[in-house]
Amino acid sequence: MNGVLTLLKPRLWSFLNGNVARDREPRNIKWLLFGGIGFLFWAGIFTVFYRVLRYFQGVEGFGDILAYKLLSMVLITFFALLMFSSIIAALSKFYLSRDLVLVHALPVSPAQIFLARWIESTIDSAWMVVVYSLPIFLSYGIVYRAGVLFYATTLGALLPFCLIGSALSAIAVVLVARFLPAGRIRTVFVFLSLVLFVILLIAFRMMRPEQLTNPDTFASVLLYFRSLETPGSPWLPSTWIYDSLRGALSGNRAGALFNLALLWSGAAALGYLMTWIAGAAYFPGFSKAQTTAERLLPSRQGRRAASAWLLGFLSGPTRAFAVKEIKTFTRDQTQWPQIFLMIALIVVYLYNFSVLPLDKTPIKTFYLQNLFSFLNMGLAAFVLTALSARFVFPAVSTEGVAFWIVRAAPVSIRSFLWVKFWVYFLPLAILAEFLIVATNLLLRVTDLMMILSTATVLLMVPGIVAMGVGLGAAYPDFQSENPAQAVTSFGGLLFMILCAGFIGFIVILEAGPVYSVFMASLNGRGLALLQWVWLAISFALVILLCVLAVVLPMRLGERRLKALA
Amino acid sequence: MIELTDLTKRYGKTLAVDRLSLSVAAGEIFGFIGPNGAGKTTTIRMMGGTLSPTAGAVVIDGIDMAARPEEAKRRIGFIPDRPFLYEKLTGMEFMRFSADLYGVGDGTFRPKAEDLLRTFGLFDWSHDLIEAYSHGMKQRLVISAALLHDPRVLVVDEPMVGLDPAAIKMVKDILKDLARRGTAVFMSTHTLSVAEDLCDRIGIIHRGALIALGTTRELKRLAQAQQADLEEVFLKLTEEQAPS
Repeated sequence: MNGVLTLLKPRLWSFLNGNVARDREPRNIKWLLFGGIGFLFWAGIFTVFYRVLRYFQGVEGFGDILAYKLLSMVLITFFALLMFSSIIAALSKFYLSRDLVLVHALPVSPAQIFLARWIESTIDSAWMVVVYSLPIFLSYGIVYRAGVLFYATTLGALLPFCLIGSALSAIAVVLVARFLPAGRIRTVFVFLSLVLFVILLIAFRMMRPEQLTNPDTFASVLLYFRSLETPGSPWLPSTWIYDSLRGALSGNRAGALFNLALLWSGAAALGYLMTWIAGAAYFPGFSKAQTTAERLLPSRQGRRAASAWLLGFLSGPTRAFAVKEIKTFTRDQTQWPQIFLMIALIVVYLYNFSVLPLDKTPIKTFYLQNLFSFLNMGLAAFVLTALSARFVFPAVSTEGVAFWIVRAAPVSIRSFLWVKFWVYFLPLAILAEFLIVATNLLLRVTDLMMILSTATVLLMVPGIVAMGVGLGAAYPDFQSENPAQAVTSFGGLLFMILCAGFIGFIVILEAGPVYSVFMASLNGRGLALLQWVWLAISFALVILLCVLAVVLPMRLGERRLKALA
Repeated sequence: MIELTDLTKRYGKTLAVDRLSLSVAAGEIFGFIGPNGAGKTTTIRMMGGTLSPTAGAVVIDGIDMAARPEEAKRRIGFIPDRPFLYEKLTGMEFMRFSADLYGVGDGTFRPKAEDLLRTFGLFDWSHDLIEAYSHGMKQRLVISAALLHDPRVLVVDEPMVGLDPAAIKMVKDILKDLARRGTAVFMSTHTLSVAEDLCDRIGIIHRGALIALGTTRELKRLAQAQQADLEEVFLKLTEEQAPS
């Protein structure tokens, strides 16, 4: 056990050293910012659940069934989340971390390394689920006026619940890694999970839940309620924790303790099984992970001519970075599942617009169509922000330890950043315009609205991309093993907050004048002089804001990146 | 060809390089040696334009690095101590990337890249991804790419690290050949036998300051150790500078 504790010390010491680092002041600001946002989420979850549970209590006959079903669904979701994040964390901790070569050369057994890594992976994957499950349990406790038994059971059940999820994931990872190189498994797992998620998402969307508001279909909802009382599978750990919490809530002490015992004995048994399997399969799997995987798609030298022709008009350095950017992006298999997910979300986004029941509303269709189109500008820009957060913001960080090449090259940092800008701007602008035109066609909006929304989005895209590139350059992380995670950093958060503010300002600036234009055309009269002035000032401000959104972040990024030296 | 004037670099309170001044002529191989943490890599990075000095100037082929960094860098072949590369490119694609950056024309690129890759024993792997290369192969690829544009100045940080004996001999021959053709070579190394064998002049840096400069013979005279090899001279000179 001493060996395991020693192996955990670097992690602990690094964490403690982080608090006495030279840049303590900015770090404190970051902690405050993250802490504040984290607390807001925590309080938000509590408020939503508290209100929902209070509402359920008012539903006669079904209230408790609904509340318990909600708890069961939450626990199943948590278990799935735990499994998923544990698989990703375990793969990285067991097989892919950079320090593993050094650690395996130390005089400690692979079993000790495995156990130390498993503890790290469990903490990494479970802490967030635990922290954000607490407001839910708290709201149940308050609404049901639960006693100490409930709170004690909750705390006593969460730990084995997390251990079971993490142990099951570790067993799966160790067994699969025995046969497949670890680098490939991550892609396979992420891809399969995303496929499952997308299927569920599309299936749910195709059920058209908005039809439940239609009284004609309400009868089937009653039938659905009946099915809610079906108990969960006795083999699922989420059922054990659910039964123990339900027992504690309803005062069934024996039931609560029996299921708590099930959780703890299940965790112990799985822990034993995991250690036994890891003893036999971990090190061979680690050895396998050291070999370089074959390329998924073999190289085709003929492609050179096509790409050269496409990018031939660019100057030498620009072409060099553009080609490098495109090739490294398309060859990184970890990007593929995420692109697949983005496409699925965009399809669902478009589908939503195609099924909007515009003709059934009491409000004038003409007015509603144009209102939706206006809101859609903001939504499309938010979709773009999400895409930029994932792909554009980490673009500078993805240079990683090879960033010396950029610094040594006869290319200015400014040119380097502008190449990044253009590489991402062109596809994102095309995508944004496609989204906005397609949704406008589905909404059958007026020509004025079509022109206004396509022009506004075209003005916003450079700002969002420039903020991604510029802030990504101002807050780079060249040492990260996964640069895509850069978006969860302080800079990433700042990027998203600024983008949200930027989009909000643009929409607000345009909303007033556009409304007056619509009302004037509806009433068949012209605009007053004051309204014309208002229109001109608003649109001038929109253009100014869009220009500033491009210039300022790019300058900030350039200055900060230069100052890194 | 290379002029360093009062070059200084501070990291917070730490003085990494202290008013370093020296020059390297065309066709000269200059060795830069010193203990760990003496300031060699910091100096080399400032020369390569990857690090900006706190004070002083780097002039490459008459061009001030601070005033016209792109022009100066275009004349340099820069080889860092650790070969971090774009792992998802193939060796040939990395050569193409370097050629585009340094303005090597389409007409000359292909034969030149193939020639360099053959010379460094990488041609058979030129269409494999760099992530599959060994450390030594990556180091050889970095050197190949740095030579692609016929640089007038070659700045090399620890050129022999990770190379096998055959590759070391090949690199030594190439550096000698480049110097014969007028390229100024500035290299830092811990392999004193390489410095002694290859360099026209050697500078010894210790605690950020240049403590000795000259040919091997001049350094021996300075250390009053005529019969000693460079290793003993190095130890004697750096010990003399150690705080008592």
